Amino acid sequence: MSTLTYLAQGFSSALSMQNLLFALVGSILGTIVGILPGIGPTAGIALLLPITGILPPTPAIIMLAAVYYGAMYGGSTTSILMNIPGEISSVITCVDGYQMTKQGRAASALAIAAISSFIAGTIALVGLSFFAPLVVNLALKMGPPEILGLVFFAFTMVVSMAGRSLLRGLASAAVGMFVSLIGLDSYVGATRFTFGSTVLTGGVDFVAVIMGLFAMTEVFKDVVAETKLISNVHLPPWHKMIKLSEIKQCFWSMVRSSFLGFFVGCVPGVTGGMVGFLSYEVERRVSKNRNNFGKGAIEGVAAPEGANNAWCSGSLVPLLTLGLPTHTAMAVLLSGLMIYGLQPGPLLFETNPLFVWAVIASMYIGNVMLLILNLPLVGIWTRIVNVPYRFIAPMILLFCFVGTYSVRNSFFDVATCLVFGILGLLMGKLKIPTIPLVISIILTDIFERSLRQTISMGGGSLEVLLNRPIAIAFILAGIIATSAVLYLRSHLRSGEVFFEGR
Amino acid sequence: MKKNLFLVFFVVSLTFVCAGNEVSGQQAYPNKPIDLIVPYNPGGGSDLAARLLSTYFSKAFGVKLNVINKIGGAGTIGLQAALMAEPNGYTILMDTHGLGSMIAFYEGKYPIDWRKRTWIGRIITEPMIYITRIDSTWNNLREVAEFIKKNPKKLRFGASGLSGSGYAVGVQFFNAGNISVEELNVVMFQGAPEVIAALAGGHIDFAAQQYSQATGMVQGKRIRAIAVAGSKRLPLLPEVQTAEEQGYATLDIAGYQGIAGPPGLSKEVVNFWAEALKKASEDLAFVQQAENLKQTVAYLSPETYEQFVERQYQEYFKLSKKTK
Repeated sequence: MSTLTYLAQGFSSALSMQNLLFALVGSILGTIVGILPGIGPTAGIALLLPITGILPPTPAIIMLAAVYYGAMYGGSTTSILMNIPGEISSVITCVDGYQMTKQGRAASALAIAAISSFIAGTIALVGLSFFAPLVVNLALKMGPPEILGLVFFAFTMVVSMAGRSLLRGLASAAVGMFVSLIGLDSYVGATRFTFGSTVLTGGVDFVAVIMGLFAMTEVFKDVVAETKLISNVHLPPWHKMIKLSEIKQCFWSMVRSSFLGFFVGCVPGVTGGMVGFLSYEVERRVSKNRNNFGKGAIEGVAAPEGANNAWCSGSLVPLLTLGLPTHTAMAVLLSGLMIYGLQPGPLLFETNPLFVWAVIASMYIGNVMLLILNLPLVGIWTRIVNVPYRFIAPMILLFCFVGTYSVRNSFFDVATCLVFGILGLLMGKLKIPTIPLVISIILTDIFERSLRQTISMGGGSLEVLLNRPIAIAFILAGIIATSAVLYLRSHLRSGEVFFEGR
Repeated sequence: MKKNLFLVFFVVSLTFVCAGNEVSGQQAYPNKPIDLIVPYNPGGGSDLAARLLSTYFSKAFGVKLNVINKIGGAGTIGLQAALMAEPNGYTILMDTHGLGSMIAFYEGKYPIDWRKRTWIGRIITEPMIYITRIDSTWNNLREVAEFIKKNPKKLRFGASGLSGSGYAVGVQFFNAGNISVEELNVVMFQGAPEVIAALAGGHIDFAAQQYSQATGMVQGKRIRAIAVAGSKRLPLLPEVQTAEEQGYATLDIAGYQGIAGPPGLSKEVVNFWAEALKKASEDLAFVQQAENLKQTVAYLSPETYEQFVERQYQEYFKLSKKTK
């Protein structure tokens, strides 16, 4: 039976009333989970796991998968409107998205986020349906040296997002790196920077830090300044807010981000946080609109949002074709499969083709559902944002605390959030940008791990890199990119700023 | 006037709701939901065992177990939370090898006094298998040992952390073959799936991982299993020899899942749980579900559990010393 035949069968199963219903329920729940800052799809899927005791496997897994990619749709909403990332992969969306909101273009940002998510998600699903075995073989060849190269390239973002003063940007990144290293190391179990405290042995949760730096700081700043989020008096209905010209402008961004996100999703060991940064950085170098990145470039929203949806479908490739979960949300989904007695692994497509293809087909449908759900919501969100800030601020604080607490049921994390909120205010006063800190805190962990893994693989030296052309290519790309940025910075006319942001 | 009355009523009822949570009364244990703390990510071995128990408890006793994932510090965060909780029986720990026997590899640097707890019982053991790259030419453990001896610093051994059972299983093998960890390259990953992926991609050569995690890839011919740790062959891999058959009779480490609590739990609580675990281990549906997850149900009573963990700890401690 050809793939198309299987897929067709999958559609006929996915279009049953029960499966449609649960795809819808999952999509809605996923969107809510994505909108709520701090609570991610992992928690959402874990909470819903008991459903496996009640439903047969197909609707249950359809629903759980829908929660997962639904969260990628919802994650951009608070990022754009309030500068609060709903999802780790939406952190970079805050940069251009929030700028667009401040310029009164929130509707465009929200709309393009939804459309980009849909297009990239669907392209990636096509990849999953027809190219999974091919891509997964390629992806497995990406080991620690290649991931090291990728992270190295992503790190160069620190230099490009440093703002006016390179020194301040690097200082910010250094702080992020320091915070990230607090805790236990994985090779000998040595405690680092824990000052004898058991709580610190668990490390500082970067979700708490990001919530603090983005949400808390924003609330503190705006409460002090008594701002309203936007002051548009007259808003047209939602379908008039979406401009076809903008969609055309972002078309290639969406395609590029879908390929990048999809492929990166297939590689075990790459996290969601990295995907957003990578796609943003690549887009910034390639796009014609690159000078506007950081000032409200619509591609700066389209690229990461598309990439994170494509990443979603990409992470399902190793799960379904090999039974390998590439990160925690996938591990929970995997346990859902195992609870049903399904054998996840390379033979899953052979032993349970009807089930697998029904789930895949349902994902196409789910993406359509989410697009239909999210576009009219654009109108509602832009109106909610008109509510006076003194009502919104406490809600933001509440969601912040709940979301931060929910990551690991820890009040220490909530305290971390507060501390970084205050630190964010300080950094604002000292004109130290916060984005490098965020980039650093997300990337340092993976960077250190892959560096040590690469060195261990080579018996104590980096010579293993000499035999890995892909890794070298990424590292070279990083070096070239950084050099280019440094060159441009030193040639700025006075008054011109390379990147204006947080 | 009406607004004030409403406000007062609201505050008073809120107080009662909050207070109500504290009133456990003179009824038998348990009379309200129990928090089961899992110090690891959802989807992992401990988390799955906890959920299995949760399903069983609500079915068999009508008791609600809240599975709470308290992640971080390779388990120390959750362990700390559980051991420092009030010993009233409503906060219980999903105990596992990473929180007990495997601590031996931390060599006295472990930040918590892990022995200070109430031992309740073991419910599950996880069989482990030795796996290699699909293109490797070793047919059994002996050939791996010979390779390492002849080619020092060439073999790349992947493990999922110091307190993961994979590391201990590997180290036990190296020790039995008189190999020091210095003679090979240990590459640390986060979790079994990463190790298995690295093996499938050819980035490492050898590993030891849970049967539940690795079998799929073995059956799919992406990696090879060359031995089962222990003396019993495994149902889904009947052609794979046991370490005992290959002449390594002492390789018997398995991961385990059990139940423990803060120090000072009452006899009533311990008895309830010990009985419950025993009943679960004899319940056909529970055993079947565990097998779906490729876990082996293996009950141990409170006293024997404590002895078991201590014995394993001492073994690993000796191993960690020898392989330096």
